[in-house]
Amino acid sequence: MTGSTQSAPPHQPAKPFYFNTSAHLLRITALKAATLAEFLDALRACPEDSIFQHAFRTLQEHHFIREGFSNDFAHWVLSALNQPGLAEQLANVDVREYTSLGELRDRFIQIVELHLERNPADASRLADETFYFCASDIVMVPTKFVAQNMQAFATGLREVSVHSIHHHFIEARLRIKLMSNDFSQWLYEDVGLTETARALNRIDIYTGTLEDVRRQIVRVVERALV
Amino acid sequence: MNSQTASNRPSSFSPSTAAVEARPERGDLHPDGEKTSGQSAAPANPERRKAPRSWETPPAPVAPPPFDAYENIVGAAELDELRFLARELKGKTVKMVNSTAVGGGVAEMLNRLVPLLGELEVPTHWDVITGGNDFFEITKAFHNALHGSPYELTQAAREIFLSYNEQNRQRMQFNEDLIVIHDPQPAALIGARKDSHARWVWRCHIDLSNPNPQVWGFLRPYIEQFDTAIFSSQSFARQLPTPQYLFYPCIDPLSEKNKDLDENFVQKVCEEFGVDRSRPIVTQVSRFDRLKDPVGVVQAYKQAKKYVDCQLVLAGGGASDDPEGAIVLKEVKEVAGNDPDIIILDLPPWCALEINALQRASTIIVQKSLKEGFGLTVTEALWKGKPTIAGAVGGIPNQIIHKLTGMLVHSVEGCAYQIRYLLTHPEFAAQMGKNGREHVKENFLMTTNVGRWLLLLRILLVEKKV
Repeated sequence: MTGSTQSAPPHQPAKPFYFNTSAHLLRITALKAATLAEFLDALRACPEDSIFQHAFRTLQEHHFIREGFSNDFAHWVLSALNQPGLAEQLANVDVREYTSLGELRDRFIQIVELHLERNPADASRLADETFYFCASDIVMVPTKFVAQNMQAFATGLREVSVHSIHHHFIEARLRIKLMSNDFSQWLYEDVGLTETARALNRIDIYTGTLEDVRRQIVRVVERALV
Repeated sequence: MNSQTASNRPSSFSPSTAAVEARPERGDLHPDGEKTSGQSAAPANPERRKAPRSWETPPAPVAPPPFDAYENIVGAAELDELRFLARELKGKTVKMVNSTAVGGGVAEMLNRLVPLLGELEVPTHWDVITGGNDFFEITKAFHNALHGSPYELTQAAREIFLSYNEQNRQRMQFNEDLIVIHDPQPAALIGARKDSHARWVWRCHIDLSNPNPQVWGFLRPYIEQFDTAIFSSQSFARQLPTPQYLFYPCIDPLSEKNKDLDENFVQKVCEEFGVDRSRPIVTQVSRFDRLKDPVGVVQAYKQAKKYVDCQLVLAGGGASDDPEGAIVLKEVKEVAGNDPDIIILDLPPWCALEINALQRASTIIVQKSLKEGFGLTVTEALWKGKPTIAGAVGGIPNQIIHKLTGMLVHSVEGCAYQIRYLLTHPEFAAQMGKNGREHVKENFLMTTNVGRWLLLLRILLVEKKV
């Protein structure tokens, strides 16, 4: 994100912010894995909706967990394969660094491939539990919250569901194809609050719950209101 | 729609074993805290294992709560999302078909789901198939066989199954936009599809991960004619040519089993059953069934008791109406011996409030199943914010993320260790309980289930993606 740093108080947004949310239905695919080799094959073959489900959507499903949960792949590798090193590498993949599911899939594949090159015996070791690849069917849903100004924006942030926070703050980069989120884009493009927009992008989504993330977003936005 | 009645419940309840404990008289104190008569609550009797009081008739069924009543549980924003999804479906109609109007998890779920969809202006009709004893004996055998039991499928069984399905097909109308067939019993109703404009969904509530090949081979051609199938766990699904969706089973947070209770009522239930709330309470709620491993729970308790003080409550049913349940109860009593801290309760099915109170009074809840469907007793425990230890079987790992929302165990020893650990690490246990409740709120509540149905309706009827 580029642009001049903010100096003047926030002005009237050029466009209102419409809070939406997304509803998901979980589809069971035919792919499953009982070993790391099978997992790698399925990772290559699964639909992008599966990568979305297991890396993005799972954050929403487990939004209340403060630590120890990042994505389904890392969780399975740790809990069912007992491979903490590989699990840490998979867990360290920050979905916010990816604006396409293809790139994100490639990163997961790369990590597993490298691990198997170094540890070929791990390929056929049987997992305690099978990993079932699911996929997410998404429907976007509007909410009643529309922000015509910054006060209303802060109110919306406080009152929408955490699903809406996930929709705008985490999933958004796949839609806008930018290393950003809907809130920052609006603050930057329509309100002119460049620093506030940047501050939102620095919030860590992996070290707290989604409610924690919401509180941090609200704090940053409220500072801009002063 | 066949409305729920108490007709299939025993008209009287006569406890058959000495292990049955006293039952609280609900009229003494309202579970929400309000006195139901001018009388004061009955004085508590701390004496344990006193003779049971007879409870001749079950209470009348409770009317389902209105949609708006869920706002206090899940929040206004969540309900607004459901209302929006429903608005887009206005005019669409649904028919649910299953094999029983009362008893069992499917009927319990439909009793809540159908009125809620109706309230959201998605008219939903519920039909129940009829059949003779010969039909239901066969479908019971099919049920067990689909869970993996050996079974020899005869031509006569096929004919009886198809004949009753055909009778029901001729009796029923299929004019709705979406027809949902629950479980295998009515699966052959799909034969009516050719005369209907509807989309057809098969909702399978049972574990098909290891089915008897003869029975599955017989049913499969019918299942393949549906537009889509829904399973309760990823691991329960089969390879089918049609899309398959995952709908977790759910609990109703406003039902008698799960609603908030007044603390005085919880205390009174504990006093009536002789449970000492000043000491840790470990509870398993389940039928006296070997697959729930109540003997293993007693053994785990005994191992843990060497290190930590606690009581064990085994609360369930099945001993009075099931010969095998009575045998299991006898085995449990033998293993329990004379330990006064083991409290065994064989309760009739209409004791939901008492079960709720016992769960709320518990320090830890255990569900040490050896085989399980989804394990809704685990969901109930997690919803009450209780640190929960459960066998890693069936749908339980969908609910318990080890060390985050609960503890998964694979043995008596593992269960004993986790009881000790959680009783000696109350802060960790409390955080886990809190996570567990949030997990249920996000994934396993009736409102989430309503949302899934609305989404499926939209995908099938509006977007026509499938």
